[in-house]
Amino acid sequence: MTFVAQDLVVSGLSVHYGGVRAVNSVSFTVGAGECVGIVGANGAGKTSTLKALMGLVPRHADTLRFGDHDLTRTKARDIVRCGIGYVPEGRHVFPGLTVEKNLLLGAYTLPWKTAVQQTMSEVFDLFPMLAEMRHRLAGALSGGQQQMLAVGRALMANPKLILLDEPSMGLSPKLIDDILTVLRRLSAAGHALLLVEQNAKLTFEATTTCLVMENGEVAMTGTSTTLRHDPRVRQIYLGL
Amino acid sequence: MRWRIASVAAVGVLAWYLPYQLDLYGIHVVDIAIVFALLAIGLGLAMGVGGQINLAQVAFFGVSAYAVAILTTKAGLGFWTAAVLAVLAAALIGLFVGVPALRMQSHYLGIVTLGLALAFTNWVTNSAVTGGADGVSGIPVPPLFGIDLSSEYLYYYVELIVFGLALGFAVFLVRTGLGRRLRAMRDDSLAAGAIGAPVPVLRMTAFVLASLYGGVAGVLYAGLIRYVAPDTFSIANMFLLLAMVIIGGRQSILGCVVGALALSLLREALTDFATYAQLGFGAVVVLMVVFAPTGLAGIPGRIHRALRRGRAGEERAVLKPFQPSGHESRGSGASLEISGISKQFRGLKALTGVSMTVAPGEIRGVVGPNGSGKTTLFNIVSGIYTVSSGRASVNGTVVTGRRPHQLSRLGIARTFQNLRLFGQLTVRDNLLVALDRTSMWSVWRYLLWPIGIWRSERTLRQRADALLDRFGLSDFAGTTPGSLPYGIQRRVEIARALATNPSLLLLDEPAAGLNGQEVGQLREIVRSIRDSGVTVVLIEHNMGLVMSLCDRVTVLASGAVIADGTPAEVAARPEVIEAYLGDSMNTADLITEAESVR
Amino acid sequence: MEVFFQTLVGGLSFGAVYALVAMGFSIVYRTMGLVNFAHGQVVMIGAYAASTFYMSAKLPFALAIVVAMAVTGLIGLVIERVLRPLENKDFDLMLIGTIGFGVVLESLATIIWGATGHAVPSPVDTAPLDLFGIRIRTYSLVVLAIAAVATVALILFLQRTKRGAAMQAVAMDHEAATAVGIHVGRSNAIAFAIGAGLAALAGALVAPMLYVNPTLGGSLGIKGFAAAILGGFGNIGGAIIGGLAIGVLDSFAAGHFQAYSELVVFLAFTVIIMIKPTGLFGERTVNRA
Repeated sequence: MTFVAQDLVVSGLSVHYGGVRAVNSVSFTVGAGECVGIVGANGAGKTSTLKALMGLVPRHADTLRFGDHDLTRTKARDIVRCGIGYVPEGRHVFPGLTVEKNLLLGAYTLPWKTAVQQTMSEVFDLFPMLAEMRHRLAGALSGGQQQMLAVGRALMANPKLILLDEPSMGLSPKLIDDILTVLRRLSAAGHALLLVEQNAKLTFEATTTCLVMENGEVAMTGTSTTLRHDPRVRQIYLGL
Repeated sequence: MRWRIASVAAVGVLAWYLPYQLDLYGIHVVDIAIVFALLAIGLGLAMGVGGQINLAQVAFFGVSAYAVAILTTKAGLGFWTAAVLAVLAAALIGLFVGVPALRMQSHYLGIVTLGLALAFTNWVTNSAVTGGADGVSGIPVPPLFGIDLSSEYLYYYVELIVFGLALGFAVFLVRTGLGRRLRAMRDDSLAAGAIGAPVPVLRMTAFVLASLYGGVAGVLYAGLIRYVAPDTFSIANMFLLLAMVIIGGRQSILGCVVGALALSLLREALTDFATYAQLGFGAVVVLMVVFAPTGLAGIPGRIHRALRRGRAGEERAVLKPFQPSGHESRGSGASLEISGISKQFRGLKALTGVSMTVAPGEIRGVVGPNGSGKTTLFNIVSGIYTVSSGRASVNGTVVTGRRPHQLSRLGIARTFQNLRLFGQLTVRDNLLVALDRTSMWSVWRYLLWPIGIWRSERTLRQRADALLDRFGLSDFAGTTPGSLPYGIQRRVEIARALATNPSLLLLDEPAAGLNGQEVGQLREIVRSIRDSGVTVVLIEHNMGLVMSLCDRVTVLASGAVIADGTPAEVAARPEVIEAYLGDSMNTADLITEAESVR
Repeated sequence: MEVFFQTLVGGLSFGAVYALVAMGFSIVYRTMGLVNFAHGQVVMIGAYAASTFYMSAKLPFALAIVVAMAVTGLIGLVIERVLRPLENKDFDLMLIGTIGFGVVLESLATIIWGATGHAVPSPVDTAPLDLFGIRIRTYSLVVLAIAAVATVALILFLQRTKRGAAMQAVAMDHEAATAVGIHVGRSNAIAFAIGAGLAALAGALVAPMLYVNPTLGGSLGIKGFAAAILGGFGNIGGAIIGGLAIGVLDSFAAGHFQAYSELVVFLAFTVIIMIKPTGLFGERTVNRA
């Protein structure tokens, strides 16, 4: 497989739900292997932005391109075939199926042969806990374990870019540290990441560039290190 | 209005002279069609108006017809005595069939009512008292002041009068309080309960109404044919009846009648091709549900809307500013006391030991990250959820463990995160459902004192118009909420909650989806509501609104209260900042920053 | 005691048929939330198709069943395609739409095969077995065996194949399923075809046990639906137990109440479902505001 540089280019992306404008003309770029974060309070339009990229909600955009693929013309079910993995908000693992089956379904677009077994063992290396629980039903896993499974499922299709929606939601500080470790390892392995988070600290530590969203628009953009010490971020969060 | 009266009169005159144009066979067909029209009205009331799937309508019909037959031929009662008892029997069966509706809805209810209808046919085909497959014959001709009702021409007039009254009653009912509540329950039973409509009683009412119409139809049928057999009450006829109601338009009483008359006549005309006719009816039903779910009755409205779209922008409706009420502050609102509430869903802890006290006349903000249990707390206080432990009381009255409609009567009102307006009711009707505080006991007036209902409707309408005015919604009074912009819908929902005359108002994310200007208006509205004597608790993510509006703020995280205090105090607490941003970071500069903003 | 076991055995073979009907209901409901009120009529068409291919075209019984399953599978695809606009939107309209389809299928059957119906000779003509004084018809055993094989095949399909796993994934979370690349519409269509195929199997098996006529679907459909609800709607294992339970209940009701068995079965069903609306193995869903 030739590895062409694949940038995600988004410009003028808007999302409407029956009269409500959830996302208003958002633009950004995620370069190959880059880590970009989107932070903001609840209801700022972060999740809608990701869902719009995945084609899961009706959207409008001037440009929506990943490498050579024009995502505006790609059906939701084919996004994964372009090399984009998705870790939805609230995990959304398949609760009645085993951990192993969940991972295999992550590789639904590939033939279930030896190559997939190889990827699965790589996922198990990354998350040894999943290997132990491979025959357990996903619904019986704890929140943190389900989060790891959701990440593992996305990895199974060998994505070049992974979209993560609030992986820290409902997790304890200890588990959030684990998530951070995982994100750093994914990045080190060459995956580009687009991380949507309410947890600003986690995002600033895991990414290099960040967008701050407010009321469906990009309020600030900058490197994670500068934003980290910018009091305006906290004002946007706390409405001061 | 004048046009309407004229057309009713015209139809009445035509109906009166119709028999002069018909031969004996023709009048028989019409007599049967009227019976089906009565059945269709009943089915329309249960399904179209009340939203209760009822596949047992033929059983109500059958119970009554068989009761007349058995009581007259075997017990020797007079026809009209038997008729009254038969209608009562049908109503009783209606109550019985309606009981499952308290526990289940939709397809479950469909299968249960269908099963009970089958049970009924099973009983009549086998029981000795019903004459088995042969049925009961020899029902006497109904006596009526010496008029010979064995003539189907004269019987037609009896049917016509009964039908006219029944139709008028149904139309009156749909347009007034009871019907409005039924329609509200159909559109959204959760919201209907939250504004004081007793949903369980209404569900039973829908079935009793259906069975009453079925009962009257049964009596007329027994008097007309004077012979009953199981075939008439078969499942095939149930489906025919369903086709009538769906094709005519289940939500419109007139539509049901038109559907019933049309299909009855069509079936007679196609009697030599009965199977093909059935095939056609089935196919039309399928096409109708996919392409025209409102049936024939919905077509004029569709044409009207299409025409209006053609010449848009004639006189645009405008949202007028909210008018703070200058007058009367009725007390200072209720106090809310929540002590040690916990709630678990199948082992998942949504709330653990939540306590908070809201003083009368306060505006309290409840904030916290996603999934911290804010809406669960509202659902408990408004009676939608039961608690696992702990309790909540309003003005000293314990509210946990009561039904939503009871709490509405205690003065608790709420709005919903994802807007739960009654989609097929006009904005005015949405408010009227909430304004109508009469108890279900007053339904007796429908039978004995309709004038009284008419009068209270008039005062309700005046109050609705005043409320619409206050909220600047007058221009939208006649539109359905679904066609309105989101911001206006939010305002309608607040107006509806306020229409219940609450002392405690719970607002769940009232600013979600609003633009900056609308948020400003919302702030005005909430302040004015508080000033008129209502305690307000609001869940909100728009922190700017919370900071500027609320007297005190309670912060929830992972189902527990982590902070409580004035907005400035709360925003400075490290644990709050941590809950929101994931880290307390350096809070010192933040506080100075906050103070310089103020 | 002998009578008891005799009734039990009779009930179980009918119960196996109800279980197949219930499984068809469940697999469709599970994947797409559609309650197919025409399912009983699909069973009836299956019974007619199989018996016609068996008696008139002189196909072997097993082959006749397979052909009938293909026919009803196609009908299932048509129903799904026509009602697709209503999916996940209006439950009540969808329900009425499938009732409409039921009426269409019933009248089609009357047009094709006539209103009188026909009896189907048992494809197995060996003498009944005698087991400790209980007479067991060989055909009953065949029915039980085929139903068991079909159940195992369905479970294997769902658990061992990629397509089966994808169908389950769609049922559990169709958005997440889309995100991993599953074509949800195609998966639903296949589920519908399988459900209809199971209906044909049930119809074909029940044909020699009952008199085949156009109204056969009504009662079989409702009892199968009752079985599905009893087992917890959408639960395949529950459907089997629900089906056997309804069969046995039916059989005992017929023994004790003779002609009133239907009355008793439906009253009992109503009472059970009132007490436990989610069925014996169903999960309670949380009502979210």
